[in-house]
Amino acid sequence: MAVSVDIDKVSKRFGEARAVDGVSLRIEPGELFFLLGPSGCGKTTLLRCVAGFYTPDGGTIRIGERDVTQLPPHVRDTGMVFQSYALWPHLTVSQNVAFGLEMRHVARGEVDRRVAEALELVRMTDRAKHKPNQLSGGQQQRVALARALVIRPQCLLLDEPLSNLDAKLRLEMRAEIRRICKEAGLTAIYVTHDQKEALSIADRLAVMHEGRLLQVGAPREVYLRPANRFVANFIGETNFLPAEVAEVGGGRVRMRTAIGILESAMPAAAVTQGSRVTLSIRPEVIRFDVPPAGAPNVLTGTVHDTVYLGEVAQHHVRIESREGGGDMQWKAFDLNPRILARDRVETARIWIAPEDVAVLTE
Amino acid sequence: MRRSTAWGIFLLASVILGVFFVWPLARVISGGFFHEGRFTLRYLIGVFQNPIYAEGLRNSLLLGLGTTVLAVGIGLPLAWLANRYEFPGKTWLTGLLLVPMILPPFVGAIGLQQILGQYGALNTALGLGPVDWLGQGRYFGVILLQALGLYPILYLNAAAALANVDPAMEEAAENLGCSGFRKFRRITLPLIMPGLFAGGTIVFIWSFTELGTPLIMNYTRCAPVQVYDALKEIGSNPFPFALVCVMLVCSVLLYTASKLLFGRQAYAMQSKAAVVFAARRVTGWRALIVALPFVAVIAVALLPHAGVILTSFAAPGSWYRSVLPEVWTTGNYVEALGHGMTVGSIRNSLLFSGLAVLVNVGLGIAIAFVVVRSNLRLRGVLDALAMLPLAVPGLVMAFGYLALSSMLSNTALVKGSVPLQHLLDVRVNPTLFLVIAYAMRRLPYVVRAAVAGLQQTSVTLEESAANLGAAPLTVVRRITLPLIMANLIAGALLAFAFSMLEVSDSLMLAQRMDYYPITKTIYELFQMIGTGKFVAAALGVWAMLFLAVTILGSSLLLGKKLGAIFRV
Repeated sequence: MAVSVDIDKVSKRFGEARAVDGVSLRIEPGELFFLLGPSGCGKTTLLRCVAGFYTPDGGTIRIGERDVTQLPPHVRDTGMVFQSYALWPHLTVSQNVAFGLEMRHVARGEVDRRVAEALELVRMTDRAKHKPNQLSGGQQQRVALARALVIRPQCLLLDEPLSNLDAKLRLEMRAEIRRICKEAGLTAIYVTHDQKEALSIADRLAVMHEGRLLQVGAPREVYLRPANRFVANFIGETNFLPAEVAEVGGGRVRMRTAIGILESAMPAAAVTQGSRVTLSIRPEVIRFDVPPAGAPNVLTGTVHDTVYLGEVAQHHVRIESREGGGDMQWKAFDLNPRILARDRVETARIWIAPEDVAVLTE
Repeated sequence: MRRSTAWGIFLLASVILGVFFVWPLARVISGGFFHEGRFTLRYLIGVFQNPIYAEGLRNSLLLGLGTTVLAVGIGLPLAWLANRYEFPGKTWLTGLLLVPMILPPFVGAIGLQQILGQYGALNTALGLGPVDWLGQGRYFGVILLQALGLYPILYLNAAAALANVDPAMEEAAENLGCSGFRKFRRITLPLIMPGLFAGGTIVFIWSFTELGTPLIMNYTRCAPVQVYDALKEIGSNPFPFALVCVMLVCSVLLYTASKLLFGRQAYAMQSKAAVVFAARRVTGWRALIVALPFVAVIAVALLPHAGVILTSFAAPGSWYRSVLPEVWTTGNYVEALGHGMTVGSIRNSLLFSGLAVLVNVGLGIAIAFVVVRSNLRLRGVLDALAMLPLAVPGLVMAFGYLALSSMLSNTALVKGSVPLQHLLDVRVNPTLFLVIAYAMRRLPYVVRAAVAGLQQTSVTLEESAANLGAAPLTVVRRITLPLIMANLIAGALLAFAFSMLEVSDSLMLAQRMDYYPITKTIYELFQMIGTGKFVAAALGVWAMLFLAVTILGSSLLLGKKLGAIFRV
């Protein structure tokens, strides 16, 4: 039965450094939850607090109904996949997988059956008798997953499980991990710094920075409505633009900026006239086609430095400041690019739908 | 590295190892298995049928096993504690743990007898009668002394192996519900087994064939002493040859087994640990509990040293049935420095060891270059050959050199030429053979140190120098050697220190007083009635100080990698 994981005001210090600083979080039963952030943000520390390798300095952690804050790791019943896989080199694949069951005094026949089942699940049946160092990285990763899954843990913990794999294998394995978690109905916490991993398979994710949670939400929500500059910049790429609110009304906000009035149909909760905000405009929402008549946010810029990548062209667009405060330099993605800025600088008309302009108050 | 250069070095090194290492061994084997040019097993069978030889072998095996088990019992728990806990004074205590290495166990035996002997300090202090702590079971006395001298090798190996275990390996076990001693037995122990076995192999080979300690403890019923006693008949009696062959085979088999069971890279961790293991900091009474085993082991292990130091300051005959010497004097030191035998022996030891280290460094660098920087398919063979001296007991090597020397000096050519006699006949002048013996015995240390240095040094550093116009030798001189200098110095210092401590070679090969090295002199002095023992102790203290400085120097240079030197 899948259970929830409740993290309540958990803090963990190392000397003076606050690795985790008062984090509260509820992970729902059966949810595939991601902790996302740059290295050193505290995500691994938080995961290790859940696993029991660190005892928090403050706060409580519950797995299901059970308060596990002070429990040692070996009684927590979590299954963890380590970044280095931590497969024991002196045991075979099936011995590695069987280990947790032996610790639980599962009967011999049952052990064999479940090990076979787990290896089947990760498609490693034919390697059962191999030693870990005879396996490729992807295979080791799958054995590590099987070893964590076979004990039917209350909660699966994954610590950057794909960071040692090459790009193609990563794509394959992340779909695989989601399939397995969903088939088993597991609650899982997945730590990564790779936003694509998080966006593609998470049910919900939390962005961490300097030991705190900056935003928790579904991938779409976090990407489209980042809570602040850090989140907007960490997940995907974006262009920032300082602005001052000129007018609020009808679900729209009009803002004064250095390059003229811009309109957003996606206002943050509390903006009032006169408040200072930051606009986040993703490179892919900048459009080069002909805007509908009367559309707001139509600008003129010069395109230079185009990088052609096949499915997309990355332009640098310079937009002149109207108030003489220096030009804006924006990054813009042109999907399925037909028109390319060649060596010479081209003037282009660009526009942004008001629905695509995110307003950040922090 | 150019192929022709590599081949040149390879051939040269192989010839040197062939002549100075393989040939003497071949002499031993042919002496044990050939009779008038024909293969025979009768000497070998004779050894096992002769009740005295058979008993000697059995006792030696038991000595080796007992010493190894005791050394594991001391070294492994301490290494584990040091790996897991951080406590006040840890640096000092773990450093002091290694001090026993500065004294050959047999010199320590002199001191220990003063303390634990029938009329020694302990019995007097406790007001006991002549309880013989060592004599009754001389067997246990020898084991105790050897284990107290050799456990550092095991400790260093175990500590290095523990440090190499990816903490995630143990965390994964805990995560799956396994903790405490069970975790140690199921996960940690198997993972450190290669390191433990490597250290154990060295300790076993060392103690199995140790000559000095049983000699001093007067434990004559073991194979090394029997071989030593039979040296005078080396030309006529084939049984010592067969006895030495048996020891050689045992040692090499064990060494091979450790290689086969745990190939060098077998359990190399597959990736860098994601989490750095942090030793648990303990303070207060917990720290005391953790530190206690260290203090206890150090106290017992340094007992022989304390005994030697006290003896060296005791007026001859004044430390008998008393807790401490009754009359103190520095006269032993004066006599030690005035005695022709002692001064000469210090000079001899410095000369022999110094020359041996020069040979080692030259040969070691050359071999390491071929092993690391060439792509010769046979480079593995050279590497293995250079490591093999670790598997061959010093006693066996010494016996081989003796046999070689006796064979060569019986040829007409040598008999007719005085210079050749000085070179080749150990009865006339053992310098050449002692230098070679020291060099071959410690070659593995220098090779390992140089190999490690080269492996850590990116080849691109050399390539960029070559790219800028440096010729190969210039690259070596200006770039490579400076980069691996710390490793080389450390390896050379250790080789030097252990050459100074070399017991079996020195006892067996040095037969004329003019050429006695320190260890032989200590042994000879010890046997002299009267002041001998006390002057021997003074000389032992001198050697201890000297070696302490050398080993301290190399461990400062090597840092925590000191253990790697003692790996098979």
